[in-house]
Amino acid sequence: MADWEPKILAFLCNWCSYGAADLAGVSRMQYPPNFRVIRIPCTGRMSPKFILSAFKEGADGVWVSG
Amino acid sequence: MDESKCVGCGACAEKCPKKITDTYNMGLKDKKAIHVEYPQAVPLKYVIDPNNCIYLQKGKCGACKKLCPAGAIDFEQKQETLTLNVGAVIFSSGFNPFNPSALDSYRYDYRPNVITSMEMERILSASGPTGGHLVRLSDKKKPKKIAWLQCVGSRDMNRCGNPYCSSVCCMYAIKEAVVAKEHSEEGLDCAIFYMDIRTPGKEFEKFYNNAKEKEGVRFIKSRIHSIQDIVNSDDLRISYLDEDNKLQSEVFDMIVLSIGMEIDKNIVKLSQKIGINLSEGNFCKTSTFNPLETSRKGIFVSGAFGGPKDIPQSVVYASGAACAASEILSPARNTLAKKVEPIPETSVIGERPSIGVFICKCGSNIAGVVDVGKVVEYASKLPFVDYAAENIYSCSQDNQDGMAQLIKEKGLNRVVVAACTPKTHEPLFQETLTSAGLNKYLFEMANIRNHNSWVHKDTPELATLKAIDLVRMAVEKVAIAKPLSETELEVNQQALVIGGGIAGISAALGLASQGYDTYLVEKNNRLGGEANKIFKSANKENVQKELTSLITAAQNNDKLHIRLNSSIVNVKGFVGNFKTVIASDNKEETIEHGVSVIATGGTASKPSEYLYGEDERIITSLDLDEKFINNDKSLKKVKSAVFIQCVGSREPNRPYCSGVCCTHSIINALELKKINPDMNIFILYRDIRTYGEKEYLYHQAREAGIIFIRYLAIDKPNIKIENGKISVTVYDTSLNKYLEMEADLITLASAIIANQDQKLAKFFKIPVNEDGFYIEKHAKLGPCEFATDGVFLCGLAHYPKPIDESIAHGKGAAAKALTLLAKKKIRTSGTIADVEPLKCSSCGVCVSICPYSAPSFIPDDARFFAGKAQINPVLCKGCGLCVASCRSGALRLKGFDNDQIFAQISAAFEKAA
Repeated sequence: MADWEPKILAFLCNWCSYGAADLAGVSRMQYPPNFRVIRIPCTGRMSPKFILSAFKEGADGVWVSG
Repeated sequence: MDESKCVGCGACAEKCPKKITDTYNMGLKDKKAIHVEYPQAVPLKYVIDPNNCIYLQKGKCGACKKLCPAGAIDFEQKQETLTLNVGAVIFSSGFNPFNPSALDSYRYDYRPNVITSMEMERILSASGPTGGHLVRLSDKKKPKKIAWLQCVGSRDMNRCGNPYCSSVCCMYAIKEAVVAKEHSEEGLDCAIFYMDIRTPGKEFEKFYNNAKEKEGVRFIKSRIHSIQDIVNSDDLRISYLDEDNKLQSEVFDMIVLSIGMEIDKNIVKLSQKIGINLSEGNFCKTSTFNPLETSRKGIFVSGAFGGPKDIPQSVVYASGAACAASEILSPARNTLAKKVEPIPETSVIGERPSIGVFICKCGSNIAGVVDVGKVVEYASKLPFVDYAAENIYSCSQDNQDGMAQLIKEKGLNRVVVAACTPKTHEPLFQETLTSAGLNKYLFEMANIRNHNSWVHKDTPELATLKAIDLVRMAVEKVAIAKPLSETELEVNQQALVIGGGIAGISAALGLASQGYDTYLVEKNNRLGGEANKIFKSANKENVQKELTSLITAAQNNDKLHIRLNSSIVNVKGFVGNFKTVIASDNKEETIEHGVSVIATGGTASKPSEYLYGEDERIITSLDLDEKFINNDKSLKKVKSAVFIQCVGSREPNRPYCSGVCCTHSIINALELKKINPDMNIFILYRDIRTYGEKEYLYHQAREAGIIFIRYLAIDKPNIKIENGKISVTVYDTSLNKYLEMEADLITLASAIIANQDQKLAKFFKIPVNEDGFYIEKHAKLGPCEFATDGVFLCGLAHYPKPIDESIAHGKGAAAKALTLLAKKKIRTSGTIADVEPLKCSSCGVCVSICPYSAPSFIPDDARFFAGKAQINPVLCKGCGLCVASCRSGALRLKGFDNDQIFAQISAAFEKAA
């Protein structure tokens, strides 16, 4: 388990968090490459089914931000 | 720097050897001589500071030129003087934050832990020098106690010569204190030292009360003249007199100076040169009824140059100035517009997906970290991918042309670009698809730069795997993408303005004078609203005279159709196509219009306290105005007048500040002094809120001998009538004792309340806050419009404000409405919600949940699907709220369909081959 790395799926709102993640890039802030981003038009689009599906597909964590 | 070539990769800044002070971060951080001003700059283009560039100064280095993969560095660029022929100029030169170095008793230049509020903003910001961690500068220690000192560089005639109030500092200090408390893990004591807390803006008083009562921010009424050093310590000491007149001494870890606004000396010189008159405080001089015009014809003003302003006020004045400028330019509208020829679209329906994947190296920005070759190789093996290749710069013009060529040659019907970010580049690539005859929604971007190579520099292998995953997710999503259509809709070229007060007339005139037929609906028998009752403006202009000429201008405009004694009976339709039934004098007419402006105003409340209505000598501010307007002789006999502030405002049941009453009472008190200079005048107040340059009036009032007595909300003044004599008792908080005064005139500064109209709110589906005012689209950035497209807002219906701000707001709403009218057509987006009526259970959740009023029920008399939900594509913003809320699964969001998102989810964790 020592080298275990979590797989995280992130649902980011296009208007805030997705843009913020872009800015983190422009500012060259470094962070671990453990998550994959799905861009959604608004966190209002978020459905519990997406979260359940992510866990079913093997995600260790789900991050919804908006 | 050749802006057209710079791709914003930042390779230059990385290697530039010259470090300079980062002014955006208030000097708390370094940046390079070649830099972007701040990370969120639009467009993202690098610039060279010529005064610090080694090459430009000494002719050596040139590292950036050697490195720049786009060939964008041009050391030969020279400053150019351009001559532009324009019909109007908007002066929006802003302000400088006050430099506290000159006030050496604040120790700003000597002590690192004395900082300005602007520096505090950066320290609290996640993109700031400390990454948003609250630490003090001397030793990076987390502070336990922070003090804010208000009015540094404002309301100060003796030391800095800025007698005006900078308007925004109280609110930002409270905000900073609350945010600082949020950032602090171990508890933080925040103290704000102030003279008057000035929070007259919308929702501001609530924020202040919350900071005081819930967040525990301490508010101490004391002006601090100096900060004392502590030997062998980075801490700082403040001594002050508390409310009981006892000398207190407190030590703080950090002190924030709430600095005010100043107009740049060069702007002052420029204004004098081009004939723009300035005010006493060096702001642009304007009049109450022309708040957007400078003294030079054709030059307009917006922002803090016209007087200290916060963000929503700046936005209002900016829109207002745009309206004022376009009034004189409207004949030239659209004369320079170019027409784009539409390219016919090829149908891909029924075709097998054929995906082209373009992986961008972005010079070395992506390729320096991600093994692009490996990603291309992987992508080429994915299902339905018929073409995969890398580009050095996918966004360059020749690559765009090449991409369009490939789409046509290879018959590609879906495209994935793995590159920077869709936030900046999606429209560009979509345009390329369109130019190749492909529907622009058959496109997907994988963000392998901003979200990958730039942030995972130290783990290139993992970054390559992430890029592979992101490309696979995009391919899976685009494979099931469907072409989406955008429809066009005509915008009816007429406007409706509801409410004929100052704001409504200004909005209507703004629209009508630009050639749009505008209907102005007023419920009363004359225009002017509350302004009909006001005597003098804050600039001491005669309001009745100015109002008459405004109304005359409205009456004489043949595009402006005034409907008095009228009400709105019904409203149907939506942006671009409203149908409104107006009832006037027992007859009804239906107006078709493209835009609607809500200017239903407010009114003065009738006080229930202070014996109002029981004695004719106890009146409201507007009653006193009426006496002035009518030249009432009885005022000459008044020997002692008392004004009581905050009557019905800033109370538990009406927590907001009515904004205008302090200035109003002072204007009226000065007027009484003019009638009888020997009159004793007392103004009993809680905080004097003469924000901006209204502060000069407060000075004048004190110089004229008007006595200001501060009372506390928990111990209000008491009025007694005995033997026909009125006496007022008040607890004076500076003398710490009760004072009693006789009065033969008592003026109550009664609150402004909204003219609530539930019917109207329902007709236009516009929200109302708990104080009864309409809720605008965005508290800071959208003060002139509603979230529902095509409906605009101005005046007191939004929040209490003085005449000049109402006029600017009216013009601002007109400008926003004009942006729609001038387009003549609106284009809907393709990524919007859609109903499958057979699945719809008519529960109505979508109808009630949508903030933009897009869903509605199909009318009962419809032939098909009566009672089922339908989406108005024009109003839908594509947020997907309704889709997620639909219990029957009847709603889908085109372009972000369930199957597409599920495809992305399942593709996210497939093992890369």
